[in-house]
Amino acid sequence: MATRSNGRRFVSTRVEVEGREEVRTVELPAFEVEPWKAGAALEIVGHCALRADGVDKVTGRARYSADIQRAGMLHAAVLRAAIASGHATVDLSRVRSLTGVRDAVAGGDIRPVEVNGLPLLDATVRYAGQPVAVVCADSREEAELALRAIEVAYEATPHAVTAAESLAPDAPHVRPTGNSPDVSPRVTERGDVDAGLVEADVVITREYRVPAALHTALEPHGAVAEWTGDHLTVWESTQGVFNTRSDLAAALEIPISHVRVIQDYMGGGFGAKNGASTNAYIAALMAQRTGRPVRCVNDREGEQMDSGHRPTSVQRVTLGAKRDGTLTVIVLDADVALGIGGWEGGPGAIYQELYRCDNVRTTENFAYTNLGAMSSFRAPCNVEGAFGLERAMDVLARELNMDPLDLRLLNYAASNQGKNTPYSAKRLDECYRAGAERFGWWVRDGATRTPGGNGSAGGALVDAARKPRAKSGRLRRGYGMASQIWGGGGGPPAYAMVRLEPDGSADVLTGTQDLGTGSRTVFAQIAAEALGARLEDVRVVIGDTERTPYTGNSWGSITVASVGPAVRMAAEDARSQLLEAAAGILDTTPDRLVAHNGVVRLRRGTRSLTFAEIGKHLGDVMIVGHGSRGPNPDDTTLSTFGAQFAEVEVDVDTGVVRVLKIVAVHDSGRIINPALAESQLHGGIIQGTGYALFEERVVD
Amino acid sequence: MRLDINDKGFEVADADHLTLLDVLRDRLELTGTKLVCDRGECGACTVLLNGEPAYSCLTLAAACEGVSITTIEGVARNGELHPLQQAFVENDALQCGYCTPGQIMAALALLERSPSPSESEVVHWMSGNLCRCGTYPKIVRAVLAASRAMNGDETDGAGSDGD
Repeated sequence: MATRSNGRRFVSTRVEVEGREEVRTVELPAFEVEPWKAGAALEIVGHCALRADGVDKVTGRARYSADIQRAGMLHAAVLRAAIASGHATVDLSRVRSLTGVRDAVAGGDIRPVEVNGLPLLDATVRYAGQPVAVVCADSREEAELALRAIEVAYEATPHAVTAAESLAPDAPHVRPTGNSPDVSPRVTERGDVDAGLVEADVVITREYRVPAALHTALEPHGAVAEWTGDHLTVWESTQGVFNTRSDLAAALEIPISHVRVIQDYMGGGFGAKNGASTNAYIAALMAQRTGRPVRCVNDREGEQMDSGHRPTSVQRVTLGAKRDGTLTVIVLDADVALGIGGWEGGPGAIYQELYRCDNVRTTENFAYTNLGAMSSFRAPCNVEGAFGLERAMDVLARELNMDPLDLRLLNYAASNQGKNTPYSAKRLDECYRAGAERFGWWVRDGATRTPGGNGSAGGALVDAARKPRAKSGRLRRGYGMASQIWGGGGGPPAYAMVRLEPDGSADVLTGTQDLGTGSRTVFAQIAAEALGARLEDVRVVIGDTERTPYTGNSWGSITVASVGPAVRMAAEDARSQLLEAAAGILDTTPDRLVAHNGVVRLRRGTRSLTFAEIGKHLGDVMIVGHGSRGPNPDDTTLSTFGAQFAEVEVDVDTGVVRVLKIVAVHDSGRIINPALAESQLHGGIIQGTGYALFEERVVD
Repeated sequence: MRLDINDKGFEVADADHLTLLDVLRDRLELTGTKLVCDRGECGACTVLLNGEPAYSCLTLAAACEGVSITTIEGVARNGELHPLQQAFVENDALQCGYCTPGQIMAALALLERSPSPSESEVVHWMSGNLCRCGTYPKIVRAVLAASRAMNGDETDGAGSDGD
């Protein structure tokens, strides 16, 4: 663990970003607050407080970025390429004179701004749905109507929309720099795969294909931009106001302090809103040109074609095991179609990490294609990787005549073998066992099994019992289970302030976002617990780069683990100051005082002061507590785990699948609010079910 | 044109070509009603026209003259949440909240015509309103809890687990 003992306040540390790690400079906090121990007597944290913004959301008062209205605001509409590759010659001459139209631009009319490393509104079309022109008008109708008056002459050239097409020897050029990122193929290897294959008694090879999935958050990508002199304010639907700020400042070549990004409420993100959106660039540029505020919100075409997706992959998997089920080799060869850009999000990581195996090789071939760029999508890489790996494990279990759960328990990875580090805590085995118990895994389809895993006989089933109960009927039952592993440990930097108001209430100021996860609520709970305040007296102010201190993106399931400790530290700091103030009034010392439920009182004795009474004494003296997230321990992997079990019924005539039951057991660290955590689980399970059974982006 | 929205009269000029949704959001700043799919698939723009649910993205404002329009902003009365709104809050029947106004308007119409719906009736009725956060189980729970509360059944009602 990095500490200040070496005298340095600012040091470098590894920080987890969406399953990847980056080295960043962090500040070591002046003091560190010990984590609450398991079993600590907490009165607010760990309890089902109602969502802090529930009333605002059920009354329509909550203002999302797309709801922002500014005086004189124009509406931008975007014309998108009707071809996947080629050249677009745009004629705007008929557009500018239309009623309500205030401005219209194509490539060359605006300053060069890059999105995904390619010029915005480029006449060279590199993907289907690429923006080629923008119209600004007094109303949304007029802007959208004006798009129809734009004349575009297309020269189409051959395109590649699958990884196979893009990686073929005679493939068309997808990006100027080539059809693959520099890292491709990315090979990650440990041990000796050939030896592992020789060692295996049973080897299976399968190919799995996962489709592109679209986030389709209810609130589309969108932004409102307004210039005041050379300062820009942007209301953006984003998972990172500070990331959006730096993106915009860089693109517009203005000082970062001249950009203010605000987001009060957000209608979902799921990974697709991690930086400045195309909409934000367009709104900012058009507002600069027109001298008026501009709103640019995706229409349905823009949202589905050009706002990110989970990339498709073809996963060729080979697993080898000894007769007793011990894995001897894991090999993955995957082709991943990224679209026109994004990052190298391949399925390999979970193959490296989930099971104990000495010989593992993953090869990920990344291909750019002439479709919109991929983006993170809810545990990017691991969801699609889990699909391939866990299906292959089921096949292997069948070959070995083992129960699928026994095979997983037998090959349990106690440490992170790929990184050669221990986990800070790993209770996946408990998730397996508790889930199996609650699901009735060992007595499914009427058979009784003995959990085993300690040899070929352990957990093996009587053959007859393994068969579906209704083998010949139209409706048949199926049972499955799979594992979840994902980061979620969070890290620095993240800052918070807790400010006590004269009326005894407290404001938490932190630059994070609430995507709908409930971060506003859980940070209020953490602050109230640490401060000794009443929950209803704590207000959380988030999502404003000018008025709140820095926190990173709300991505990778890290927000509570990153921002929570900073909030707690700020609240502890504020409480210390509050007790000092109260000690002066009560003529005692702070160590004899305790803050609880909005009241400071003597530990022994009856005298007390409410926070409001202390505030009255203090007048305009303001107590401000500061908190920051310290670095993570060195050489330890912080992860979350889970196991899910499903029972489905399949109509073999129609193919209709009914999900009858899902049991999910997760090891997610301290749960701040069980009701909100449950809502998150419902959402993840339903979205995952949608992906498994229904969802696929189809482009014609 | 003159529109009657949440029992208040509004004069709107030059809006013959606009949808009710755009008039609500962009002219009157009643932004609780959301624009999402713009094609009658998601239900986020649901409002009540004379008590009947309607997708305001598919409704011309001009067709609503003389119609009593209710939006999410008109559901709470005198600062008091409607029992349905209360049930959504207490059951945590929302996450990001973007679909919530539409969900509540659709559920209001259901409870108006069927004060004690069965669970399957709620599921069927609410199927025109999408929630990408996947809050469906709690939405159904909230509608059923509101139904009980509105029928004066105090025995269960909105049950956040209260630890």
